[in-house]
Amino acid sequence: MKNKLFSLASLLLMAGALVFLSGCDNDDPEPENVPEVVTKVILSFTPTGSTTAITVTANDPDGEGPQSYVFSGPAALARNTAYNLSISLLNELADPMDEEYNIGLEVKEEADEHLFFFGWTGPLFSNPAGNGNIDNRADAVNYTDTDSKGLPLGLTTSWTTANASATGTLRIILKHQPDIKTSTSTATDGVSDLDVTFNVTVN
Amino acid sequence: MQKSVRYLFTLAFGFSSLLSLAQNAQCILTLSGTVYDNENQPLAGATVVVLPNGPGTTTNNRGRFELKNLCEGNYQIEVRFVGFGSYRQEIRLGQNKQLTVSLEPDETALQEVVVEDHAPHVEATSTFNRLSGHELQETMGKPLGEALRQLAGVNTIQTGPAIFKPVIHGLHSNRVLILNNGIRQEGQNWGAEHAPEVDPFIASNLVVIKDAAAIKYGSDALGGVVLVNPAELPRDPGLGGQFHLIGASNNGSLITSGFVEGGSKKWKGLGWRAQGSIKKAGDSRAPEYVLSNTGFEEQSFSLAAAYHKANRGIDVFVSHFNTNIGILRGSATGNAEDLANAMEREPPQQTMPFTYDIKPPRQDVQHTLFKLNAHQTAGKNDYRLQYGFQLNVRSEFDQRRGSLVEIPALGFRLFTHTLDLEWQRQHHARFQSNWGINVMHQVNEKIDGTQTIPFIPNFTHNAIGLFALEKFTLTHWTVEAGLRADLRNYDVAGFDFQNQLYRSEIHFQNISGTVSAQRIVGKRGSFTSSLSSAWRPANLAELYSIGTHQSAAAIEYGLLLDEETTQVVPFENSGVKPEQALKWVSGFTYTGNRLTLDVAAYLNYIRHFIYLRPRGVTSSLRGVYPYFRYTQTNASFAGADLSVGYKLSERWSMNGKLSYLRARDVEENDFLIFIPANRADISIRYESGKKGVVSWYAESGLRWIAMQTRAPRVITPRQLIDATAQGIDLIAQNDSNFDFMAAPAGVQLLHAQVGITWQLKNVKLEARLAGENLTSESYREYTNRMRYYANETGRNFILGLHLSF
Repeated sequence: MKNKLFSLASLLLMAGALVFLSGCDNDDPEPENVPEVVTKVILSFTPTGSTTAITVTANDPDGEGPQSYVFSGPAALARNTAYNLSISLLNELADPMDEEYNIGLEVKEEADEHLFFFGWTGPLFSNPAGNGNIDNRADAVNYTDTDSKGLPLGLTTSWTTANASATGTLRIILKHQPDIKTSTSTATDGVSDLDVTFNVTVN
Repeated sequence: MQKSVRYLFTLAFGFSSLLSLAQNAQCILTLSGTVYDNENQPLAGATVVVLPNGPGTTTNNRGRFELKNLCEGNYQIEVRFVGFGSYRQEIRLGQNKQLTVSLEPDETALQEVVVEDHAPHVEATSTFNRLSGHELQETMGKPLGEALRQLAGVNTIQTGPAIFKPVIHGLHSNRVLILNNGIRQEGQNWGAEHAPEVDPFIASNLVVIKDAAAIKYGSDALGGVVLVNPAELPRDPGLGGQFHLIGASNNGSLITSGFVEGGSKKWKGLGWRAQGSIKKAGDSRAPEYVLSNTGFEEQSFSLAAAYHKANRGIDVFVSHFNTNIGILRGSATGNAEDLANAMEREPPQQTMPFTYDIKPPRQDVQHTLFKLNAHQTAGKNDYRLQYGFQLNVRSEFDQRRGSLVEIPALGFRLFTHTLDLEWQRQHHARFQSNWGINVMHQVNEKIDGTQTIPFIPNFTHNAIGLFALEKFTLTHWTVEAGLRADLRNYDVAGFDFQNQLYRSEIHFQNISGTVSAQRIVGKRGSFTSSLSSAWRPANLAELYSIGTHQSAAAIEYGLLLDEETTQVVPFENSGVKPEQALKWVSGFTYTGNRLTLDVAAYLNYIRHFIYLRPRGVTSSLRGVYPYFRYTQTNASFAGADLSVGYKLSERWSMNGKLSYLRARDVEENDFLIFIPANRADISIRYESGKKGVVSWYAESGLRWIAMQTRAPRVITPRQLIDATAQGIDLIAQNDSNFDFMAAPAGVQLLHAQVGITWQLKNVKLEARLAGENLTSESYREYTNRMRYYANETGRNFILGLHLSF
């Protein structure tokens, strides 16, 4: 009996060893879609009544890699002009035909959990006045889109430039605020999906 | 006829006398036997010596020993084992003799032995500490890492109140080997938030071996080895079991665990055990606020069966472990600015009322183990063949956009097959060999559909190791020497930062060795010293990792990633070398009537030590991040551990423990980060003794955790961002190690417990009430990653009911 048991155990072990030595597959793993990575941000400033936009981009092809992003020069805006600003968020790791390519669309779909904050330095704009709502949520920013609860989103906003030459920076933060987005939630609430700063000139 | 019978008798007697005379002349008598503990379980590793200066040996895994080539005469035999009183017997040896010895637990060392207590696979010359008996029972319900922290020299790296990793002499993760029931635990243990997937309820004792040697268990054990040893299965017919019910006030946890075991009447030698645990806990509470999303739930079970005959046996073990652990919600950060905000807030962001709900960020981990072991003793030889299969599935969920929240951001399946063959031979009473082969085949694959670039690549890993361990046992000395050769091969396929596929093949080979000795000093003391080399190949996370860990707003990337191009470089061109450690440990133990003492000092020098070194600041479109790269340096870890117990009287006893460690980056002349602070424990205990069926005890103690003064400089995330805004890269200017926050101040924590035991005829019932952090101290612990965001848990009361039959 005991001999049988022992040989049974040995057999099982041998079987184990066989499994062990086989079963090496060397297939390449499938790449993942990476819908959360933003590699390119495009700001389009369209003057009211025009269809020709002034665009600036920030490009970060390695996503979360250690290389910093690069700009395409300052956004050169005309003085005393009303602009509509629309923000595109692209994921160029995905194919342009894929759903994951246009992250702006996703942000729009989940507008209830997202909010853009804007902050600027220098006297760039006459409307809104001030320095934006990053430091203080109550400060003015002219949102032109809203979520399902009527709270602002910020993929599109409107701006009027100052009536004098100015240079400065425009910082844009996109916050992911699941369950915590309110009319008073601030730029320090939630997790940052985007935090990027552009140079702007007004002439 | 009668005459002839008498004649024959005389002749036979005369012949045998002649024979015995011959034996006397040649000294060919054998004394063999078995050593059992008080629960009648065989005791492995017990020392058997012939006094005053005869030969000696140690018992094998089945408690057997054999002393050969003895001459006829009167001897005094001594049998001893740590934690047990030594046993002496006068014997007259006229012919081969069998001896059965039962050791009684040493009352000063183990006041309440609940389950049988032995440490298989521990060599006599190792420096080790053990958690068993009432000390183990008092940690019931706690994670493995937290339980092990009771031992001097063992600390923890934590991520919140539920994720503990054991740290031995300053080293953790891949540098600590965990043997779960004899099988090398293989999980995704590269991250500081990856706790060992082991339910400590399966163990009847936990052993920490502090030598780097561990020649038998394989490479990697630079810090030490943790053995999780279940009790032996019953061999005699009958049923037994234990049931535990434990509740805690701080996190509203309820934990139940139990087992039933038995031996078969029909099949003598067949024993079995079925064991299971269920744990559920809500949010922990700091003194001032709820630590939101720090609850956990865990379910695990194990089944074991063994069939033993006199000289052979097989055993089968299956276990499954399943856990879902929340990570503090306020620690979810997107970039350095978020980190700065999170660190500056108190209470942490998204602090909500107490709940049992667990939301992202969270971890979901399953671990399944199957083990089959066969062993046989044939004369002087002892064979052991063991196969193990493990499947580890880890999914980590983050706060992601929309429906992605349901999808793990990180997901891996790790399949591991291990095959161990071991041969032990008692050549001679004083000379024993132990040879073996360890083979491992491992496959890691990402769980498809995470929609993130995988943090580590897919890989196939094959490893083979050969070891030889020789042991010489003399009257007062035991000397051991061992050698190990390893070959490892990885076939890797992963994705870089740009989601481009890379493939590579990596080979490692190494030889390591150990020399150790134990010297018995007097009747109660022993001195051990060992010098051992160990090695560890860079693991795949250290080589290839890309991305950020849960609750760390920092980018980590591996040794093989080029900083300029962010592409993966071939291993051959990288100059990456395996870590090489040389560790010296010396210890002295003394077990007296009143005083027990265990002191050990160590020095561990590690060449090519791999750690995350700050490299710079990067601005991605998600914001500013510091980034760290795995780097190699030379590091030293030196320290001492002390455990001392003193019996003041029959009823009163005192205990003290001290862990002291100094670690340093020798090459850069810098401090290393997350090195556990020094600490000391002192406690006083009263035992009522047995009064009828009832006995009780009360204990109170103080734990002192020092401030870690040997910590790197501090750069707060705010300083980093402000400097970056001005175009200054603080890290590139000076890339010495830094921490985001200064090391927290030291703290004293008061705890107390009372327990009562009813020992009825066949049933033992115990109740225990314990209080932790009684003064509800607000503090932070240096090696808890939650310290950037929140205080440690406040006061906690634990009520436990334990039933054994």
